[in-house]
Amino acid sequence: MNILKITALVGLATVVSACEDASFRELGPDKSMDRGIDSKHLSQLEAGIWVDPNGCDHWIIDDGVEGYLSARLDKYGKPVCSGAAPPTQTVGDFKQGSTRIIGDPI
Amino acid sequence: MANTLFKTLRIAAGAALVAAMALQGASVSAQTASQSGRDGGQYIPTIWVDPDGCEHWVMDDGVEGYMTPHTNRQGIPVCRRGNVCGVMQSDQFFATNSARISKHGQARLDEFFRSSDATSFIITGHTDSRASDAYNMRLSLNRANSVARIAQASGARIADVRGYGERQPAAANNTAVGMAKNRRVEIICVR
Repeated sequence: MNILKITALVGLATVVSACEDASFRELGPDKSMDRGIDSKHLSQLEAGIWVDPNGCDHWIIDDGVEGYLSARLDKYGKPVCSGAAPPTQTVGDFKQGSTRIIGDPI
Repeated sequence: MANTLFKTLRIAAGAALVAAMALQGASVSAQTASQSGRDGGQYIPTIWVDPDGCEHWVMDDGVEGYMTPHTNRQGIPVCRRGNVCGVMQSDQFFATNSARISKHGQARLDEFFRSSDATSFIITGHTDSRASDAYNMRLSLNRANSVARIAQASGARIADVRGYGERQPAAANNTAVGMAKNRRVEIICVR
């Protein structure tokens, strides 16, 4: 029984650390990479559009366990409110990485 | 036997954790609890370029992700390419001091908007630096509105119409060529 418990614990620890080992090994100041599963340089992220309640666009990225959101601005620095979708709706394929595999339980 | 082994493991793990925490506490003289980690509170970002060609600061801190637009100190985004898809030289479309577009110009614009696959358009008018700032703001907005009316009539969606007057020059105003370049209506295609 206890042997089983130990085995299960060790197994779980291995699985979790393989998933997102960065959460167990604290990161240094360089935050430019996604480590563990989905590992890549962050310049590779793929975004969709989220329309805020005012009707203006934001880049949205769901990259497995990380989520990113950043304003879409035109060359003059003004918000882009394209009307691509109604407020609070999203457009595009922005769920990359392990979101496909592990789902989004939360 | 197994029970004893489990207990021993637990004690060992606990001791290792305490040792690790002690080591961390000693190695960093942090200002707050949030800055006591291996990064010492330093977050060095990298750049992500959005589909419009503009830069964002981005960071991955384990299970958290952060992103914010990269702007200069004036709040203007840093972009590697713009999504300006049309620049109308005003001299070809408008008479001096007028916001009225010739028949030929109207036909050209109608054709442009009908053949574009953009979701919507942002239209901005600009002038050279002659005449007063207030006059130029008014003229450039009137011209942008003239273009927007044609766009709308052709079925295009307009996201915004603005007049920037002489405040966003594309070239220096000290030569005739430069001034002609500044007299323009820019069309941004949003996709």
